[in-house]
Amino acid sequence: MVMASEMIIFIRELKRNRKSFIIWTASLVLFNIMIMSLFPSIADNTKMYDEMIKEFPKGIIEVFGLDKISMFTILGFFGTESYLFITLFGSIYAMLLGASILSKEESEKTIEFLLAKPVTRSTIVTAKAANVFFYITLFNLIFSFTNYLMFEAVKKEEYSLKALLMLSAGPWLLHLTFAAIGLLISVFVVKAKSVYPVSIGFVLVMYFINVMSSISEKLTNLKYFTPFKYVDAPDIIINEKIEPIYLIIMLIIITVSIAATYVLYNRKNM
Amino acid sequence: MNAIEIRNLTKFYGKSRGVIDVNLEVKEGEIFGFIGPNGAGKSTTIRTLLAFIYPTKGSASIFGMDCIKDSAKIKMDVGYLPSEVNYYDDMKVKDLLFYSAKFYKKDCTKRINELCDIFELDLNRKIEALSYGNRKKVAVVQALLHEPKLLILDEPTGGLDPLMQNRFFEVLEQENKKGTTIFFSSHILSEVQRICDRVAIIKEGRILKVEQINTLRTTRYKKIVIEFKNAGEVNAFDMPGITKVEKKNNHVEFLYAGDINTILRKLAQMNISNLLIEEPSLEEIFIHYYDKGDE
Repeated sequence: MVMASEMIIFIRELKRNRKSFIIWTASLVLFNIMIMSLFPSIADNTKMYDEMIKEFPKGIIEVFGLDKISMFTILGFFGTESYLFITLFGSIYAMLLGASILSKEESEKTIEFLLAKPVTRSTIVTAKAANVFFYITLFNLIFSFTNYLMFEAVKKEEYSLKALLMLSAGPWLLHLTFAAIGLLISVFVVKAKSVYPVSIGFVLVMYFINVMSSISEKLTNLKYFTPFKYVDAPDIIINEKIEPIYLIIMLIIITVSIAATYVLYNRKNM
Repeated sequence: MNAIEIRNLTKFYGKSRGVIDVNLEVKEGEIFGFIGPNGAGKSTTIRTLLAFIYPTKGSASIFGMDCIKDSAKIKMDVGYLPSEVNYYDDMKVKDLLFYSAKFYKKDCTKRINELCDIFELDLNRKIEALSYGNRKKVAVVQALLHEPKLLILDEPTGGLDPLMQNRFFEVLEQENKKGTTIFFSSHILSEVQRICDRVAIIKEGRILKVEQINTLRTTRYKKIVIEFKNAGEVNAFDMPGITKVEKKNNHVEFLYAGDINTILRKLAQMNISNLLIEEPSLEEIFIHYYDKGDE
């Protein structure tokens, strides 16, 4: 069967990245189901948990956004609990996927095999970037759909579907942003043993900056430097939208990262 | 049209030398040897031809197309056998071969089966579990399966046992009869000698010489080995036109580049127990070129 080179590589990557996709998706979906199933008991004991939260240090309350939203509504509960995991761990998955998909060929020296085939380097980038997009999107669709089912199962009252939709789109955009940055970084960081610490470290540093910007007035301007802030749950729940400025920043990061990846990957000595 | 043309190719990795000012022409249908020791620049040249790396200066073309700009198009007709074989660790032999075949937009199943029969390769084994030699065989089949018009072989026989080497050379000769050009890089001269029409010698990044394999072997030089009856004559033995002299006990061997009559007359006056006059191996001539290069 004759098919485009992009498709051949895309299908190959589909197989190659399937296992990690299944593991990450299953873990986060199950984790979310577990957390969301705690909601009814918490919503039934508002008073007790409210007393408890008041005892929390101010910093913790701000980090979790509990000063802005209540964890006794289902959106607030999701936004302060599961949302942390889908954004943080989802971003680590996305970054690792983006950062290893090109560099793996080089660290395992299979790039010579691939480059000896009648394919351009741009074709390789296109096929692999498309694969990253595909898996991250599928990951988010499955997560968001199961999350919606959980919402319906445990809700105590009606909630804003629009806000939930935004809380589902936010992590997706966040993951794509990290994946695009990962793709670009992997042009420079090739060795398998460096790809992991660099990727995970980058996401954690970004998360840390997010934490700092929410607890310190002085550091509040740092919020522009961390993608986590762009999709902050309390803001999305309150405004029922992702701020246009943040949307634009994310789209710019994604576009610039991918464009730079094409240019640099084409110039690289393998 | 030339299959390969390399013009003033220079490649530096930062400050370290890859190749300097390499010029080569490989004719279509030719088996062209490319010899030099490790680190001479053979792989650098090949990697530039395949656009794995980009030249610092100069250019190269294959079938008249630019190696960098038209790289993808060129590779439709090129088979590459790397010196070090690295494949995907999750693949079986057949996965790798059929993955490779898909890129050439034609059905290669028949050829894959033929080649796997010739090289006794089990399609259902995991590549990761294969021995070095068997992995090399996968690479050989992978390079040949789409019946390319140009084969670029980088140290192709490493890891193959003598039987497989023989089959490999037979396959190469068959391919060559069908019109396939072969660029054969090696540091083992006997294999270049066995199969190549012409040979380029590369040393420290520069091409020393390009010659017909026949002229290279038959020019002037004879390898002469003499055993004397007594050791005293060994030490005294010397005459103009001899190089690479090795003396051991009552035994002396050297390369001779003069008139054969002169040396025969001289030997006739000596007390000799054994005499051997033969074509020098390419190795010996090669080393000779190297020494001249040093001067």
